[in-house]
Amino acid sequence: MKGEEISYLSILNLLFLIVPIMIINYKLHMGINKKMLYAIGRMGIQLSLVGIFLQYIFNLNNPYVNACYLVFMIIVASFSAAKSANLSIKKFIIPLFFAFIIPNVVVLLFFNTFVTRLDELFSAQYMIPIGGMLLGNSLSGNIICINSFYKGIRENEKAYLYSLSLSGNKIEALIPYFKSSILASINPTIASIETIGLVSLPGMMTGQILGGAVPLTAIKYQIAIMIAILIARYFSTILSILFTAHKAFDDNDILHT
Amino acid sequence: MGLIQFKEINVRFKDHVIFENFNMNVMKGEKVLLSAPSGKGKSTLFKLLLGFQKVDHGDIIFNGKQLEKDTLKYFRLNIGYVSQDVDLRNQKVWDSMMEIFSYKHNRHIKVTKQKVIDLIAYFNLSTDIIDKEVKQLSGGERQRLGLIICILLDRDVWLLDEITSGLDKDMKERVVDYVLKQNKTILIISHDKIWSKNDLIRIEEW
Repeated sequence: MKGEEISYLSILNLLFLIVPIMIINYKLHMGINKKMLYAIGRMGIQLSLVGIFLQYIFNLNNPYVNACYLVFMIIVASFSAAKSANLSIKKFIIPLFFAFIIPNVVVLLFFNTFVTRLDELFSAQYMIPIGGMLLGNSLSGNIICINSFYKGIRENEKAYLYSLSLSGNKIEALIPYFKSSILASINPTIASIETIGLVSLPGMMTGQILGGAVPLTAIKYQIAIMIAILIARYFSTILSILFTAHKAFDDNDILHT
Repeated sequence: MGLIQFKEINVRFKDHVIFENFNMNVMKGEKVLLSAPSGKGKSTLFKLLLGFQKVDHGDIIFNGKQLEKDTLKYFRLNIGYVSQDVDLRNQKVWDSMMEIFSYKHNRHIKVTKQKVIDLIAYFNLSTDIIDKEVKQLSGGERQRLGLIICILLDRDVWLLDEITSGLDKDMKERVVDYVLKQNKTILIISHDKIWSKNDLIRIEEW
């Protein structure tokens, strides 16, 4: 069983349905037509290039190249996390890189070894999409938790200092902020695990079904990947705080991001 | 030689000079009221002593130890600090106290509910305060709560930043009376005249 191939021309058909949106936007002076078309055009070019590139990597299917591609994705994720959380790239890019790479690679290899039971752990077909899903989730989790952690301390600086005076120990004074930032990162994942499939089919499952897999196979992958996402995100969250906090506080335990 | 010494302290925020060649000496057991106009760094002095802010120049010495990276902990752990707004995170008062006394360094202190209730009663707080959330407390209630925590911590030096401003006259007297009776070294920041009127107090002006 194989999914129906679609052509670029048939994708263009969808643009007919964009026309009424543009007319409404125009009439209401919403001024987003240009932005919308630009976004669609950019997506088209971006994904086409990624498609060509991935096709090339898949054809090659060289474990070293695949691993390099994964590392590349991790580097991009690290920059993106630093930028979104307003952290200095110079100071925090390396801690973030390790906060991403350690849990994600461990979970990915574990997944490929014990769940999909691949002979070739670094097979592009599994490594790149699954790695991408884990990473993407760790990325949003890390952004939430880093933001929540440092914002929590900055906004409650007096409370932090007061507890520092009571405890004399930075770790003890930071634990409440640590706990609440992990919760902020993990709660959305738990919520989505809980409701998955009831409202909309998750992207990976949809993709697999369209690609020709039977739903029963697709749900098994989906269950496995959701658990893997939770694990990778949890540990990445914790490490992102532990590693960045190492550099974010001075000798007097005062925060400098 | 003083228990606490500030020696030729310089501190500036951007272009604003807070301290220039500031010196102060506090002997063991002294009760010192810091008196200076607003913005002249009274609270800053407390923060310097706790390492929350750094001096641009000068030495801070406590019990013969100079404040630096390795002695910072000693400073923080032997000084009881009541900050101006008693900045506790919002949670139940009792939980907050239990958290404070679960810290490694404070664990040895035996805090019984009775001890807490006695202090609460002494400072005229209602006993149900321990079940309230911190943000439900009034300014005066927080100040007394901060003082109670400081009393229970039983450290050698107390830094009290405006602990009587939210209290009525009788309670101010009771707090001042209690604090000055302690066999501790105490630095006080307050705009209340009641402190400066007392003979046990030395006033340090700048």
